[in-house]
Amino acid sequence: MVSVINTVDTSHEDMIHDAQMDYYGTRLATCSSDRSVKIFDVRNGGQILIADLRGHEGPVWQVAWAHPMYGNILASCSYDRKVIIWKEENGTWEKTHEHTGHDSSVNSVCWAPHDYGLILACGSSDGAISLLTYTGEGQWDVKKINNAHTIGCNAVSWAPAVVPGSLIDQPSGQKPNYIKKFASGGCDNLIKLWKEEEDGQWKEEQKLEAHSDWVRDVAWAPSIGLPTSTIASCSQDGRVFVWTCDDASSNTWSPKLLHKFNDVVWHVSWSITANILAVSGGDNKVTLWKESVDGQWVCISDVNKGQGSVSASVTESQQNEQ
Amino acid sequence: MEKMSRVTTALSSSALTGHTMHCHLDAPANAISVCRDAAQVVVAGRSIFKIYAIEEEQFVEKLNLRVGRKPSLNLSCADVVWHQMDENLLATAATNGVVVTWNLGRPSRNKQDQLFTEHKRTVNKVCFHPSEAHVLLSGSQDGFMKCFDLRRKDSVSTFSGQSESVRDVQFSIRDYFTFASTFENGNVQLWDIRRPDRCERMFTAHNGPVFCCDWHPEDRGWLATGGRDKMVKVWDMTTQRAKEVHCVQTIASVARVKWRPECRHHLATCSMMVDHNIYVWDVRRPFVPAAMFEEHRDVTTGIAWRHPHDPSFLLSGSKDSTLCQHLFRDASQPVERANPEGLCYGLFGDLAFAAKESLVAAESGRKPYAGDRRHPIFFKRKLDPAEPFAGLASSALSVFEMEPGSGSMSWFVDTAERYALAGRPLAELCDHNSKVARELGRNQVAQTWTMLRIIYCSPGLVPTTNLNHSVGKGSSCGLPLMNSFNLKDMAQGLGSETRLDRSKGDTRSDTVLLDSSATLITNEDNEETEGSDVPADYLLGDAEGEDDELYLLDPDHAHTEEPEYVLPQEAFPLRHEIVDTPPGPENLQDKADSPHVSGSEADVASLAPMDSSFSLVSVSHALYDSRLPPDFFSALVCDMLRFYAEQGDVQMAVSVLIVLGERVRKDIDEQTQEHWYASYIDLLQRFCLWNVSNQVVKLSTSRAISCLNQASTTLHVNCSHCKRPMSSRGWVCDRCHRCASMCAVCHHVVKGLFVWCQGCSHGGHLQHIMKWLEGSSHCPAGCGHLCEYS
Repeated sequence: MVSVINTVDTSHEDMIHDAQMDYYGTRLATCSSDRSVKIFDVRNGGQILIADLRGHEGPVWQVAWAHPMYGNILASCSYDRKVIIWKEENGTWEKTHEHTGHDSSVNSVCWAPHDYGLILACGSSDGAISLLTYTGEGQWDVKKINNAHTIGCNAVSWAPAVVPGSLIDQPSGQKPNYIKKFASGGCDNLIKLWKEEEDGQWKEEQKLEAHSDWVRDVAWAPSIGLPTSTIASCSQDGRVFVWTCDDASSNTWSPKLLHKFNDVVWHVSWSITANILAVSGGDNKVTLWKESVDGQWVCISDVNKGQGSVSASVTESQQNEQ
Repeated sequence: MEKMSRVTTALSSSALTGHTMHCHLDAPANAISVCRDAAQVVVAGRSIFKIYAIEEEQFVEKLNLRVGRKPSLNLSCADVVWHQMDENLLATAATNGVVVTWNLGRPSRNKQDQLFTEHKRTVNKVCFHPSEAHVLLSGSQDGFMKCFDLRRKDSVSTFSGQSESVRDVQFSIRDYFTFASTFENGNVQLWDIRRPDRCERMFTAHNGPVFCCDWHPEDRGWLATGGRDKMVKVWDMTTQRAKEVHCVQTIASVARVKWRPECRHHLATCSMMVDHNIYVWDVRRPFVPAAMFEEHRDVTTGIAWRHPHDPSFLLSGSKDSTLCQHLFRDASQPVERANPEGLCYGLFGDLAFAAKESLVAAESGRKPYAGDRRHPIFFKRKLDPAEPFAGLASSALSVFEMEPGSGSMSWFVDTAERYALAGRPLAELCDHNSKVARELGRNQVAQTWTMLRIIYCSPGLVPTTNLNHSVGKGSSCGLPLMNSFNLKDMAQGLGSETRLDRSKGDTRSDTVLLDSSATLITNEDNEETEGSDVPADYLLGDAEGEDDELYLLDPDHAHTEEPEYVLPQEAFPLRHEIVDTPPGPENLQDKADSPHVSGSEADVASLAPMDSSFSLVSVSHALYDSRLPPDFFSALVCDMLRFYAEQGDVQMAVSVLIVLGERVRKDIDEQTQEHWYASYIDLLQRFCLWNVSNQVVKLSTSRAISCLNQASTTLHVNCSHCKRPMSSRGWVCDRCHRCASMCAVCHHVVKGLFVWCQGCSHGGHLQHIMKWLEGSSHCPAGCGHLCEYS
């Protein structure tokens, strides 16, 4: 089911905290405690170091690629309380912006869907979430949600772009009136959903409670033809929940426990068609989950560090599929 | 010194206990120092000089050393130090350059002992000799260091750094005569106390001022220095030239550095500005602090480990006027909070996973310190939370590949490239796509295409006119219930997901009054004989009557009512066998009961809410064919599309939508379609399938989608001769009256695809230029430019 095709020699000097592939799946950005961000070309199973970005003064926790329509842009956030936005110009990567608005470690960055323009959400240990919007000519507008999560925010994830009503109904020539939303997870064990009001202010729309310890990651599923909204969350308590909201108007979210692991679950990541969820836990394992026909989540594969292994349920679920 | 530490240890042989706690001071602190009994701490500042007892639960003020009504500037302390041998002896460094010693043993209220007014500017640091009771060293802003013998009134010797201000002076713990001093110009000097004329050695340690230094309590050669350049460096002084053995990057300038007792590689730092936290670093892991104390709200000015052999208690004073005791176990540990794993789902279904490599190795790498046995003391080492992080952590990053069928997206690319979406008859398209899907091992999809073909392209089914569109409209709802079926009977043998429930109570607004038991049978027979994949649940079609009759009758009663049964989500039959229809009689019986057995396929066909105009003519055609009308299936087809979309296969949904075109489009609301199109196009673009994406945009019927292609379509052309913009249409330049776009190879005007070199602007027919450049690298126009076609 799963096999290692490539072990990337990152030559990072300390732990790697995040690895992100770009929009076209050709480049991989990694960040590490050693303060550096590295970009590799991983086409055809290769691993060519393209850039080694230095500028942070502390461990770099997360990186995020912007949509390529804005150029090659990468954001990184660090323990040094900074968010740096890097841009490739004529083949060289350089810092284009540095955001220093947080009072503590910045733990998560996430770019908004490209339809909204260049907007970056940053979640920090100071409990605040800041939203950087590119206003042109090197200027970034900052909005800050203070006390979004007490003790700290660990993860942010944008909802896919959804337009209320059909595109057709929009007055022509105007930008469609998007409803911007994102989810955040924090040390208060909560997942919060945020929505931009008409006056441009961000308001807490919903609080999702189910975890009993810090929420480590949230991932809003890409909406590929789906009418429902789905969010996956994982926590220090070892549990992974999949939240769904069938009816956007009532905005009620129901959690479904995907699995309870024995260790901290650090990451959840959706496949681009949103039908497979990858979960990585404290035991250095990645498991892949798929919703079966009867609505249950089944593990279709687990990947141990360095080697792939197939679990028995794989064949089952494949059969179900066909 | 060895002896010294033993003595100290013996004195406090009972384990220290306490909590993380703090107390409010009246004024900001500049420095703190701990008494050797580890039970008292002195806090000094510009307007504070007090001794606090450290009790189990709290700090208790024991003594205020600022006495007198008018405190002199001598009491404005920049630094304070408590003698590590004599519990009654303290020294302070005043901002006016005075060095004061204090004797707590004095009976009077004023404990001031001696006053040395030799420095001209602020004294930054005072330091007692670790083993010599009467020797005191001071370092001042005026650039001099002075050594005092407390038994004498003046300094014994003066050391000139020959440079700017002295920021710190520290006696070596191991070498009796040695002390280190740090300077604002970035230098560190090593002095022999017996030789005031010149320093033993000097080296540049930092870029910018070196604010502090600290000798390692055990390792005689190690000196830690901290500077404004935000770095802490550990030097090995035993070698000929001072060698940098470790370097820690903090996030702010380093104001104080103190080695952690009993932890060979740990040191605590605090900063001079910006950052109010105290960090404990493992010097071998220079990027992440091992622990962090976040209690202070303003700059931390003084830090001191409470006991020279207890690594768990740290005291600190701050500009926020508080004195804190920190317990190591209460510290926040950024390493613990740090995410040790990175995970990313790649576009092609590949998975990048970075995980900490040495989770186990770090555990077993825990080793006892050399100093352990010599000091069998109170501290339980196992509790030390810092040790597991010893050594550098590293991560392994692997990229995993999904094998086809599970999560890999290769099918998507293949399918997208090979599907035929238009330009051929429907049947061929379906067949082709079915074949593609089958070749890719996607049997379910292949089956679906086949079924679509059967549904929509039966041989006799001619495209129907829209004659009846108006007919279907405008009818009223609420017609009497005529007949109803219970499909459950018929669904036997089908997978549960194919069940199509229809309750008896369904309102059927049947209009055509026909008695067609016979036809019904015929119909069912036909179904069977055809051997098609058409699901049996559609057999309810009770296809009655001759079409003309139907046709005649319908206008009066056609209805637009929505069907009231709901398909289960997975309603689409995944794999059908031909199902034997239930015995006719039962069904007939059923129908016979109702007075009007009628053409309910009409409503079946109008499943989607938007559909108010369906073709009844097609019904009749279908009947000619002994088949059901395609419209009859549209609801199911729509559900199938939704099913695929929900499964993450929006490709199928869009492809079917395009191939079937008008046949189903009206049954799916515009917004959903747009959403599918947008999702699919987005996916195609991510996979760089520009041509397919463009085709989809072109074939889409949704206005919002097709206008995607109409953005930025303007092409600005300049004349290749006079280089002016071509204002008029056509290929002749107004200015130079020559044909602008001549092919450099055949010298004809190029209409259609024109390729030109961006370097020399010559070009021509794509084919010609390509062919030319195969044989030559020069421009065909003869301009000498080396053109390249890529």
